[in-house]
Amino acid sequence: MSEFGGCPGSRAMDFRKSEVKDEAPTTKVQSQLRQWPIQLHLISPVAPYYQGADVLLTADCVAYALGGFHNDYLKGKSIAIACPKLDEGQEVYVEKIKSWFEDAKINTLTVLIMQVPCCRGLLQLAKQALENSKRKVPVKAVVVGLQGEILSEDWI
Amino acid sequence: MEQYLNAPVKEVITKFPKVGKILEEYEIGCVPCNVGSCLLKDVVEIHNLADEEEKEMMARISRVIYPGQEVEIPRTERQGKVRSKELTYSPPMKRLVDEHVLIKKWIALIPQVLEIFDVHSEDDRKIIIEGVNFIRSYADRLHHGKEEDILFKYFDETSDIFKTMLDDHVEGRSHAKATLEALEKRDRQGVVDHLMAYRALLTEHIKKEDEILFPWMDRSLSVKQVGELFSKFNAADDRADQDGIERCEKFVLEIEKKFRKEESK
Repeated sequence: MSEFGGCPGSRAMDFRKSEVKDEAPTTKVQSQLRQWPIQLHLISPVAPYYQGADVLLTADCVAYALGGFHNDYLKGKSIAIACPKLDEGQEVYVEKIKSWFEDAKINTLTVLIMQVPCCRGLLQLAKQALENSKRKVPVKAVVVGLQGEILSEDWI
Repeated sequence: MEQYLNAPVKEVITKFPKVGKILEEYEIGCVPCNVGSCLLKDVVEIHNLADEEEKEMMARISRVIYPGQEVEIPRTERQGKVRSKELTYSPPMKRLVDEHVLIKKWIALIPQVLEIFDVHSEDDRKIIIEGVNFIRSYADRLHHGKEEDILFKYFDETSDIFKTMLDDHVEGRSHAKATLEALEKRDRQGVVDHLMAYRALLTEHIKKEDEILFPWMDRSLSVKQVGELFSKFNAADDRADQDGIERCEKFVLEIEKKFRKEESK
């Protein structure tokens, strides 16, 4: 199999030809991260910064693909990151997301995933947690293309 | 062009009737609207046409207004959100659309109810009273209450679009009141006229909300505001008279069953 075949999630692709011109910001881009830790196994779903918050659940790769991640999506929100393809123990993830809904009483959950099929797993975890939860919360799915374009934004 | 973009759409259509025809081709149904006070630029923005479609439509409109002239057309303001392939709603907006389903069921049945309505029959009068109770309790207090007390507060209520929607609510209330007054006087024609007028009003009102207003609101609201609305709607539903809502739902289902049976006879 050629290096360009196989699973779309791990298939090698070269974007250098479509490199964009340097658009250096006039000021340094400030980080909008307002918590630590961020990995879903490491966070406590009832940490103070999740209480009543708008939360982002982001696939690991998203922040690298999406140029405006900090200002367009992270600003004003709390976050956790995970990889639905490689992470172990994902049943714990479902319980933690459910705890956001029921215990931290979050305001909304936005799930940011890449367009590759394996990333859908993260959305599935969120849907499962919502189904298991007694308290319902608006959940939005945002799909990001490999070069950072927003392919869809839908409430589920 | 700026001058006409900032003018009420009715004024533009009256002056240039061809503009109305162009708008209709793009499924922007302002021509039959009685009010028509929305600004042309707001009308274009709220319908969220695809970029190319909007450019093409605005170019055609400018050729009607300024024949033979090259006119610069300002782009309407957008919320910068991705267009969904199909009509989808945020969870709070979906709840309002779902409430419309029950309201539409009742207003669809109104002609059948009125066709055999005998103003001197106790049973028939009871159906009208319960129908008006549905309009007041469910369509107005529960549903329009959520819109007026919660949802519209997130927008500029003084804008023409909201004034039009609020005027519809007021007119609906006056038809409900007039229906009961006519019933009291055993005025069959009065009952028919006001319930049919209510039906026409709400049919158009719901269509505007489902297809234009709610999708536009969803594009305008932030994620945080959607979450807030969802919680506030939950609280409003919890405060509502649950038995009353159940009675309203039962009324529509029973009337639907009764007339389905009559149809199959």
